[in-house]
Amino acid sequence: MGFYSGLAAEKYDRQYSNRALLSKIFRYAKPHSGQLIIISIVVILRSFTESLPALVISNLLDKVTLAENRLSFIFLLSGVVFTLEIGSYILNLIRRKKSVRVISELIRNLSTDAFSAAARQDLAFHDLFSSGKIVSRISSDTREFGTLINLTTEVLSQILQSITIAIILINTEWRMALIVLSLIPIVVLYMINYRKVARKVTREGMRAMADVNAAIKETISGIAIAKNFRQEKSIFDLFDKANQTSYRVNIKRGLILSIMFPIMRTLGGITSGILVYAGAISVYEGIVTAGAWYMFVLSMDRFLMPIFNIASYWTQVQTGLSAAERIFALIDAEHSVNQIDNYIVEKIQGQVDFNNITFSYQGSENLLTNFNLHIQQGESIAIVGHTGAGKTSISRLITRFYEYQSGELLIDGRDIRSYNIESLRKNMGIVSQVPFLFEGTVAENIRYAKKDITSEEMHAIAKSIGKGEWLETLPDGFETQVGERGSQLSMGQRQMVALMRVLVQKPAIFILDEATASIDPFTERQIQIALNMILKNSTSILIAHRLSTVRSADRIIVLRSGSIIESGNHESLITRQGHYAELYNTYFRHQSLLYIENAKHLVNHT
Amino acid sequence: MTITTESSEFLISTRYKSNRNSPVSWVISHAVHQWPFMLMGIIGAIGNASLASVPAIYFGQVFEDLVDLQPDFESITRIALIILLSQVTRGILQFARNYGFELAAQRMERNVREELYVNLLGKSMTFHALQSVGELMARATNDVREVNYMFSPGINMVFGSINFLFIPLILGPQFHPALIAVPAIFLILYVISIWRYLVVLRPITSQVRESFGNMNSRLAEAIDGIETVKGASQENYEIDLFRTNAIAYRDHSIKQGDVEARFFPLLLLALALSFGLLHAMLLYNQGLISLGNVISYFSSLSLLGFPTFTSIFSYSQISLGLAGARRILEIMKREDNLDQNLEGYHEPMKGQVSFNNVSFQYADFEPAIKDVTFSIHPGQTVAVVGQTGSGKTTLARLINRTYDVAKGEICIDGVNVKDWYLDTLRSQISIIEQDIFLFSRSIKENIGFGNPNATQTEIENAAKAAQAHEFIIELDKGYETVIGERGVTLSGGQRQRLALARAFLTNPSILILDDSTSAIDSETEDRIQKAIFNAAKGRTTFIITHRLSQIRWADLIIVMRKGRISDIGTHEQLMNASLAYRQIFSE
Repeated sequence: MGFYSGLAAEKYDRQYSNRALLSKIFRYAKPHSGQLIIISIVVILRSFTESLPALVISNLLDKVTLAENRLSFIFLLSGVVFTLEIGSYILNLIRRKKSVRVISELIRNLSTDAFSAAARQDLAFHDLFSSGKIVSRISSDTREFGTLINLTTEVLSQILQSITIAIILINTEWRMALIVLSLIPIVVLYMINYRKVARKVTREGMRAMADVNAAIKETISGIAIAKNFRQEKSIFDLFDKANQTSYRVNIKRGLILSIMFPIMRTLGGITSGILVYAGAISVYEGIVTAGAWYMFVLSMDRFLMPIFNIASYWTQVQTGLSAAERIFALIDAEHSVNQIDNYIVEKIQGQVDFNNITFSYQGSENLLTNFNLHIQQGESIAIVGHTGAGKTSISRLITRFYEYQSGELLIDGRDIRSYNIESLRKNMGIVSQVPFLFEGTVAENIRYAKKDITSEEMHAIAKSIGKGEWLETLPDGFETQVGERGSQLSMGQRQMVALMRVLVQKPAIFILDEATASIDPFTERQIQIALNMILKNSTSILIAHRLSTVRSADRIIVLRSGSIIESGNHESLITRQGHYAELYNTYFRHQSLLYIENAKHLVNHT
Repeated sequence: MTITTESSEFLISTRYKSNRNSPVSWVISHAVHQWPFMLMGIIGAIGNASLASVPAIYFGQVFEDLVDLQPDFESITRIALIILLSQVTRGILQFARNYGFELAAQRMERNVREELYVNLLGKSMTFHALQSVGELMARATNDVREVNYMFSPGINMVFGSINFLFIPLILGPQFHPALIAVPAIFLILYVISIWRYLVVLRPITSQVRESFGNMNSRLAEAIDGIETVKGASQENYEIDLFRTNAIAYRDHSIKQGDVEARFFPLLLLALALSFGLLHAMLLYNQGLISLGNVISYFSSLSLLGFPTFTSIFSYSQISLGLAGARRILEIMKREDNLDQNLEGYHEPMKGQVSFNNVSFQYADFEPAIKDVTFSIHPGQTVAVVGQTGSGKTTLARLINRTYDVAKGEICIDGVNVKDWYLDTLRSQISIIEQDIFLFSRSIKENIGFGNPNATQTEIENAAKAAQAHEFIIELDKGYETVIGERGVTLSGGQRQRLALARAFLTNPSILILDDSTSAIDSETEDRIQKAIFNAAKGRTTFIITHRLSQIRWADLIIVMRKGRISDIGTHEQLMNASLAYRQIFSE
């Protein structure tokens, strides 16, 4: 259910007690307490300016005939009405201006805190929870919460207005007031039941609309295929069915939505009729004046509207509060990677030691068990093994993305837990399997990890890779826009940019999770050149998928179930005819020149 | 004049022809077909407003009766009943107004979407190759919805409330001619201030939307790329960036809030009520009207509240609807420049292809293909290689006239492609794109898509030739497995083999394969090799490929570089002639 996906619970969600939740909300509202007090005063004042004109007018009508100086009496009371009406407008203006400021600032503050919390969270957290849902908490839920506050001031002002009117009416004539007040339970009951039906048909309408969307998405995406094979009619039928269904569901929904106000109108109309009659009797009996009777008639609409709105208000309060709960859960989620010291390092050498490391992920079975590995400064190692052998675990521990359970991990002989993480990671260059680029230019992306690199340096490095030919394939060179998540560039180009990012950074430790995507042979050759340049200067840990990368490493580490079972160089490992040879036959054989040369032979004989 | 789509590739009879000259005339041409419902809505709107004035008129009369203290219960009872009945009737008319416009709006949504969809089906491949699916989706869903909302609640509220503006204007002069002043001035200022409000608000709301979009897209990117952010230890940079974006969004929201807070018609209403009261009282003081008239007049002024409150959203709803209509029309009117050439060459294709000095460029861009010349025999396999952006894909798309050349000519079997009957040309050329699209239907239906009458045996044979049979029968429901259902996901290689099977069933003379899959393991690679080799047998085949092994066994290799052929020949020729080529074959 796409519409409710943002609302689904996550593991880190927690149930706050009402008091805890309110105190959290209060903490965010506190800096604005001055503004909030002003808003409250304005709201209270406005409930008077909204309900008093009717009273003034009724007095005007009653007493104008008796007034000594009629003209000045008219001017005086009209002046009062004028002042109240204009005052009401100005108070509303102030309330809206103040509250839009408080709410916008609150949303800004809350969403920035939520984003900071998400950005600082462990990678384990992000692996576990979908990015879409986190994003919706940061942007949509905070807006939802802002709506709640807006609604609260709105409804508060309307409740006050209703109460003020009710008091005035009761004071004038309680029996007639009773007629008006008796509408409250009817309206509330009607609204509650109406909402139930309305929500049901609205949900059906949304579902039908989602089906239309799905049908259009599917058929438009496949339109080229449909045209290629002359099957337009078949996809039109699919669309038509969804479109017609949506229409039928939506006219049902329209019927329900169209009927709400007319029923309220009818109810109000019937009450008006009763008021005319009952009022007339009261006037004859001398219980109220004719002016007071008119006040009842005038006030009725202003009294009813707030009641009307309050009924629908409660469900929205719940929506707003659970949005707040989701935001705070994100902010308060605990971290699993924790440092014991804050040693700030300028430049590391690049020696890495795994001593008896045991690592498991979220309490599942061990990915690494009593793992030992010594990597010399400047050495490059290629890690090979089947899926799940523990290849990525090694890189994820070195980058301190994950916490291990026992043993020790040393960088330059010092416990990795005692470093300041930021200073440590500044010394590491990481290229992930699907290189991630941010919207912006190629140059901005290359500079991402090292913002102070000069253009000259960048150009020099770019030129040193195959005479900079890869740069020429980009329409605007360094200034080419890469698009959202780098979508405007091909996989090979993204790979090059990610490697350039590392080349300008000159890190002590280089970690590569090699791409499996297919890249054209010319670009691939340039990637190889760039890779070799990095390997020369850094300690490198390569999770290799390409034969050429495996062969360019100083040492190959063969992993099986979290342990090193073989190591050495390509030739020696092949001659051993062990696990490496098996891996070679499974993953690398087709990349060899021998295979390529004999491909024609292979396919011809099957 | 209506622009018809007679030259389009797919036609289906629609309910009626619409007028596509301008957004307004287009919307109107749809609306007139809903006249019974519109009429119901308009009658409801006028009736509702007229009956709203009934209590206003009678309140004054009742008041006078009461002040005079001449108990006439019969008259009071009658008036109470009239008010009661008129308001119940008004409820019914209001419902007629709401539901009439709602029905018209829903029917229009359905019809407009259908018109757009049929139009899209009729558009050429050229159009669809260039058009992003996301944009078409937005037109067919959101913009069509906007046209719906434009009528309900948009026009519903405008029609419904506009009548209320005239009640005090008509009622006032009944009591005294001077009483026209306040409602008349109100009406004029109301129109001006709403106009100004919309003009001022529009740029601000788009700024708000834009700043929220900026904030949100960077936020989504940062969370998606969190590993990169952390790896480069740029958390603080991203937080600062978010803070800046959030501040921009906040500031724009405040700006919008300020404009909305000022909403001038509300002030006009306050002024109209107080000056109207004063004016009427002064006339009463001069003995020109009665107190009952004052009450009736003042009650009618209170009715101005309705158009004032609804105008906050109803007018912008209409302008949103027209903007949506404009975008829909813009898509529908975009024409393609290929003609079908119904009288054209209409023979079975042998598969001889020649390019003669061909150049091509996308609108406003620099040439994508420059002076390309080559010729191949029927049945040859051609590997096209080169870096991204070198023009490989464009080259292939010129063959079936997805695009037309700008210069030079392309001939198939010695006949210029422009002289072929388009349908004959395309039905004998099959293209397998990089991103392979499969419908959310069963595997069997996907393979048989181009040939719905294919038997199970034919489908299985095609799957076998494409090396897809084995992985298909391993799926839970074999050939009946529905793609995309319950987590059935296929790898790129598997999708490609299904597309190959699909192509086998239609047996094209020319096959164009844009291959960018990569095999994780050698065994899969073996299968892909065999499948493509089978596909290439007996027909002219262009393979845009990254695979060295395919390049190796192709009959001819074309190396593209910046839109030109940089090298062409057999593997042996290129190994001798080209350094770049030699380098990629070195280990």
